[in-house]
Amino acid sequence: MLAFFQAEFAPEDTGLIDWEWLGDNFTEDVVPAFFQHIFLCFVSLAIAIAISVPLGILAARYRWLYPPLTAVTGFFYTIPSFSMFTILLFVVGLSVGRTPAVIALVLYSLLVLIRNVVTGLDSVPPETKDAARGMGLTDRQILWRVELPLALPVIVAGMRIAIVTVIGIAVIGAYIGAGGLGDLIFDGITRDFPTLYITGAVLATALAIGADLLFVGAERLMSPWSRRARGAT
Amino acid sequence: MIEFEGVSKTYAGSDRPVVNDLTFNIKDGEICVLVGPSGCGKTTSMRMVNRLIEPSEGRILIDGEPNTSMSGTQLRRKIGYAIQQIGLFPHRSIADNIATVPNLLGWDKDRTNGRVDELMDLVGLPPDQYRGRYPAELSGGQQQRIGVARALAADPPIMLMDEPFGAVDPITRDRLQNEFLHIQENIKKTIVFVTHDIDEAIKMGDKIAILKEGGILAQYDTPENVLVNPASEFVQSFVGGDRVLKRLSLTRVGDVELEPPTGNGHDLPRILEEWSLRDALSEIIGAGADRGVVVQNGDSNGSSSGTITLDSIREISHGAGTPRG
Repeated sequence: MLAFFQAEFAPEDTGLIDWEWLGDNFTEDVVPAFFQHIFLCFVSLAIAIAISVPLGILAARYRWLYPPLTAVTGFFYTIPSFSMFTILLFVVGLSVGRTPAVIALVLYSLLVLIRNVVTGLDSVPPETKDAARGMGLTDRQILWRVELPLALPVIVAGMRIAIVTVIGIAVIGAYIGAGGLGDLIFDGITRDFPTLYITGAVLATALAIGADLLFVGAERLMSPWSRRARGAT
Repeated sequence: MIEFEGVSKTYAGSDRPVVNDLTFNIKDGEICVLVGPSGCGKTTSMRMVNRLIEPSEGRILIDGEPNTSMSGTQLRRKIGYAIQQIGLFPHRSIADNIATVPNLLGWDKDRTNGRVDELMDLVGLPPDQYRGRYPAELSGGQQQRIGVARALAADPPIMLMDEPFGAVDPITRDRLQNEFLHIQENIKKTIVFVTHDIDEAIKMGDKIAILKEGGILAQYDTPENVLVNPASEFVQSFVGGDRVLKRLSLTRVGDVELEPPTGNGHDLPRILEEWSLRDALSEIIGAGADRGVVVQNGDSNGSSSGTITLDSIREISHGAGTPRG
């Protein structure tokens, strides 16, 4: 019965994945979608970092800024992604394409990034800052040479959460014409062609895992001291 | 020379000063210990020297110049700073930690490296072994040594030390204190040293400034005079009921006049010349004797330079201030 239906309705009786199709269309359809996705996510994250780090530093310094900042960014974070795209298209009036997608992804990243910048800066031992000041470092030197390096592991932890979130939500961005792996998935579903949506899903997952590992590696490279410290008795 | 001239500090929103009209001088090459109960403003007073805190009234002169004659950061680079919590940079190697101020001052690499090695040797941590380590890989005592080395890095004439040996066990603290006094004999820094521990104050200080609550200077004098002539009931109770014993701890056995060695003295306790009279007293009483044989070093075959008796110790404890060893 099942075999009959498959033979009748599937485009070709080739099992779940049509390797031949994949081979023929890989460089033409899959690779560009993959790179679009990477571009979309990393540009969004870069913009989000550029906004969050200064805001986080300010919020750590001027405490009164922190509650309203988390309230606003927390509100963005709770908006469901479809609603967010819809709002950007129809309320803000942006046209379909990459821009509203990037804006949405940036808005989603702000909360976790800002929160981790503040938490990271808070975790710097006060005596370390006092010693730095007592030895004659200026406020700016203390920030760049002491506070940010020491906050780095926590800040990077925020970036890891942000990039994984962004890679996932960016898939939905295809719905408003942002391109990327979401195109493969939506196309595959509409055309009932598993090869397409499985490829998209697998690549999105691999991208998320890869990006996460990339940040872990970068953090280890930039703060060798934190692992040596943990290993010490 | 550091001169406090009518220095007071009152924090905004408070009508009670934490430091009240402090006036005293610290001579070059001396260790001045600020001591007192918590809330006496000792740390605040110290932090006003390098302007981590600005006084509300009065001024502090360093070598005749007000310490406001340059920017706070410039001033602080010229003054060593060591604190109880050490505050080493966890993300920097030991060598980089020590090199902090030389780097701020723009020393060239060779000079800085040479200085780092020199200081690591001075505090007893071999550079070839410890240079590249991170602070978390060191014991508490080693970290405090590095804290002191870092404060000494640019060879500042003045050092501020806030309970610099506070975060270690008593035995390690005693050793670090002795090592530091030994180092100070050669480097002759002018040191403002903060502690809440009167024993540490007596041991480390050339002068002791005893502060009481509200930041009022209760007495400023040598350890001997503080113990012999406490200026007030507060000082007397602060130095404690055992001030006679404390005085004994200021004099070394080798510095008192000894009686000639007696016959064999096999059954008498051995007293080392470098011990304090307090240690000698404890040893003699502990051995159930009335005298001890003074030897130059731990070797029991070492020549005896004389004997010290309970009577002579008692006499010294009654006498006026004895010269320190």
